[in-house]
Amino acid sequence: MIALSRFLPRNREGRDGTVTNPFPYLGYSYLSDSQDITTDEILSPAGIEEKAGFLADQLESICREDDRVAIIGIYTRGVTLAKRVAAELAKRGIEKEVGTLDISLYRDDFDNRGRDFPKLESSDIPFNIDGTRVILFDEVIFTGRTIRAALDGLMDYGRPAKIELAVLVDRGHREIPIQPDYVGFTVDTEMNQYVKVRFQEDDGKEGVFLVTKPIEQGNE
Amino acid sequence: MSELKPRKDLLDIESLSLEEIEYVLENAFPFKQLFQRSVKKVPTLRGKTVLNLFYEPSTRTSSSFEVAASRLSADVTNFTISASSVVKGESLLDTIETLQAMRSDYIVVRHQSAGVPGIVAKHTGASVVNAGDGYHAHPTQALLDSMTFREVYPEYQGRKIVIVGDILHSRVARSTSTLFNKLGVEVGVLGPGSLVPAGRHDFMQRFSSWDDVFDWGPDAIYLLRVQMERQEGQFFPSIAEYHRMYGMNSERVARMRQLGAYLMHPGPVNRGVEITDEAMGYEKSLISTQVENGIAVRMAVLHWLKPEIHAD
Amino acid sequence: MKRLFKNGSIAKGDSKEFEKADVLVGEWGTIELVAPEVSADTETEVVDCEGCLLVPGMFDLNVRAREPGFEHKETLVSCAEAALNGGVTGCVLMPDTAPPTDSGTLVKAVQDLVSENSPIPMLVSGCLTKKREGQAMAGFSGMVSRGVPMLTDSGNEVQCPDLLRRCMEYARDFDVLVACHCNTSALTKAGAVNEGPVSYRLGLPGIPTISQEIAIDRDIRVAGFTNARLHLQQVSTRGAVRSVAAAKADGVRLTCEVSPHHLLMSEEYIADYDTKYKLDPPLRCQSDVDAMLRGLIDGTIDAIASDHSPHTEFEKSSDFATAPFGVSGLDTTVLALYDGFIKPGYFGWDLLIQRYSIAPRKIAGVDPVSIKEGEKADFFVFDPNAETAITREYLKTKSPVTPFLGRTLAGAIRQTVVGDFCFAK
Repeated sequence: MIALSRFLPRNREGRDGTVTNPFPYLGYSYLSDSQDITTDEILSPAGIEEKAGFLADQLESICREDDRVAIIGIYTRGVTLAKRVAAELAKRGIEKEVGTLDISLYRDDFDNRGRDFPKLESSDIPFNIDGTRVILFDEVIFTGRTIRAALDGLMDYGRPAKIELAVLVDRGHREIPIQPDYVGFTVDTEMNQYVKVRFQEDDGKEGVFLVTKPIEQGNE
Repeated sequence: MSELKPRKDLLDIESLSLEEIEYVLENAFPFKQLFQRSVKKVPTLRGKTVLNLFYEPSTRTSSSFEVAASRLSADVTNFTISASSVVKGESLLDTIETLQAMRSDYIVVRHQSAGVPGIVAKHTGASVVNAGDGYHAHPTQALLDSMTFREVYPEYQGRKIVIVGDILHSRVARSTSTLFNKLGVEVGVLGPGSLVPAGRHDFMQRFSSWDDVFDWGPDAIYLLRVQMERQEGQFFPSIAEYHRMYGMNSERVARMRQLGAYLMHPGPVNRGVEITDEAMGYEKSLISTQVENGIAVRMAVLHWLKPEIHAD
Repeated sequence: MKRLFKNGSIAKGDSKEFEKADVLVGEWGTIELVAPEVSADTETEVVDCEGCLLVPGMFDLNVRAREPGFEHKETLVSCAEAALNGGVTGCVLMPDTAPPTDSGTLVKAVQDLVSENSPIPMLVSGCLTKKREGQAMAGFSGMVSRGVPMLTDSGNEVQCPDLLRRCMEYARDFDVLVACHCNTSALTKAGAVNEGPVSYRLGLPGIPTISQEIAIDRDIRVAGFTNARLHLQQVSTRGAVRSVAAAKADGVRLTCEVSPHHLLMSEEYIADYDTKYKLDPPLRCQSDVDAMLRGLIDGTIDAIASDHSPHTEFEKSSDFATAPFGVSGLDTTVLALYDGFIKPGYFGWDLLIQRYSIAPRKIAGVDPVSIKEGEKADFFVFDPNAETAITREYLKTKSPVTPFLGRTLAGAIRQTVVGDFCFAK
């Protein structure tokens, strides 16, 4: 059966309870059961909480000295990360709204979408970003292309005074000259590996995992 | 979402699965959100070309596709072929050959003859969108109509819509009624006996008077455009009689208001024929929403279709 | 050279039984001997017909060889080849040539072309009205004196009932057959398919059944009123069959024909705007198709006629509403009817011979053919156990546009013999 109304509250859960890949263009197969794939936890739920606090620590002083800081997460898990950090900031007495940015329409791999059909999400940025200092959140930075698309998307909403980037994990292998300003932690990876971040509210489980595929299968 | 197969062309409503309909209608809303921004454009189809191939003049539909394509950053070429050049002997296949050489990624086709978009689709790797062919189909109109209906009725299943006018010759009526039926919306029709195909669509309930329609209690009333040049005297005695029998006048507006029903029309309207000036000001008219949703739906359609173009 | 067709069985129009016999055709094309166990001398070519049928040559009442005027679609040579390929050994050519065959001079011109190009008899019919325009009577006497088998405006029905009446009155005194392709143009308009669920689904302008039925009823009444001889071409609706049956019972001098397509296919075949199924009259609904078969079997429908109407593939590749009506039929009619009806047992060879060989010849006023001693050889060798793939190479018509292209039909025509001429595969 299909979801019959887009007006009912929805999250990214599929009809069968599995979580849909928000960026299917990338060809990640998060849910593969293959025996050859190994998955190692590299950060526990407690670790995530600690890193979110660490990011909040870095942002706290900025928020105090500049009241035009705006927080925007890249859909899906960038938003969740942004909300976690915003919650940490709230504990420190700083209330920040979190905007949502869906970058599907800004990706540079539209022709390679293969058999996948991206479900679009409305971007929701409930504040004017003109002249603000935007902190953009994503859970992992890898090639940098997602961020490139997000920057394009963000610019179409207005003209921020400054944009900075916060990520939970930096796994390296940049393909374009984009670097994060705030990093939870860094992990060395190979090209046949990928880093998956799972949040309770999106995925029903919590943790950061390093997934290793056999080399001959490449990144597919 | 994985159950969706890539689709090259959108030619009619009949061949769409519920999943595909749902996919397009759901994606149309994020596109509509973009219209609130000062920058209404996204770069999704940058470098792609959309060709508007119109054998029948239609400013509204071709502009709507043009705006949709532009907002996706595609380049748009308008290729309008007058009936006279067809008479001169340029055959459809020759035209398609010409289009092939232009290497468009998407071709939007309107033609007075049913089935032509299908022929274009068969002969080109570009994605073909049917923008109206003969009496056959107008799928993007049907999609925008459902989007509009679902926007005002989030719980739309089991609701009722009545389509009023020339059901026989209307591709809008055909595609829209088919789509509403697929979505579980009840469809009724009202029109002169000479313009309603009797017993052709068993899912459509046939009414012969407004009284019956109001008794039925539709949630929306969808007026079709009267093709005055073609129909007066042939299918009904006069415009005045049509207006009296089937037009939306102030008395019927009052009853529509009682019901709380919405008013829809594919445009452009003939004031004083299927609708009076007064009725045009009806507070629950969705006519301009339909136009806006038309752009969003067409963006979602262009975003969804996948051309089969291989570099050689 | 003599030819001996050995070990075959002879099919007949008046019997369901086959006669097992050898047939010896002399060097002048006459059947010299029909007997069991005929032995051949060294001068005789022996054709082994084991397991095969020898069937009298068919005759098609409704054929366009497109010559003169439309040689890009078909020529007399290609048309004759298509006929022989399909077991047809004679036909009536429609007058819708360019210019239309509407005078004695033009009939003579086409007859001359036929005798130069065709190894089989092709009778040239003439127009009822000048240029088939339905405005003024054509020159009957000149055409009749050239021996036209019928006068017809072919696809153009005479719309004015008064002119039709005068034509029939005038034709009656020449005792020439008037043939009508019944259609009421005010109802047909720009229609492309049968009006009904299929026309509605495809969004194509429809042709209502009453378009043919009203014209048939009118023509029958005019024929009864004037006592002319009337032949109805291409009947297609169950109402039409009822009208024909009633008129025959009333004593109207009336015959009619049906195409193999209307016997075998309904409008559903059009599927996705397939112009191979765009015919005039249009393919109708299944109950009409069933009525055609019943009418053919009970004799209400006298004859089968292929309505051979070749068009180029390019012409037929246009959109459905624009594409011309008609498909080619001579190559495939016998095979299609064998495959569709005889093999599954709906009727036998006797009925096919009656309706596609004997009756059409009678309607056209030519002698019947049969496989008997002393008769001119006029038959084909049919292998019921083989099958035939209908490919472009197989079709001898210039127009490969037929619903059967790409299909494999049961049975195979091995060779067609007309006098001393033998068309072998």
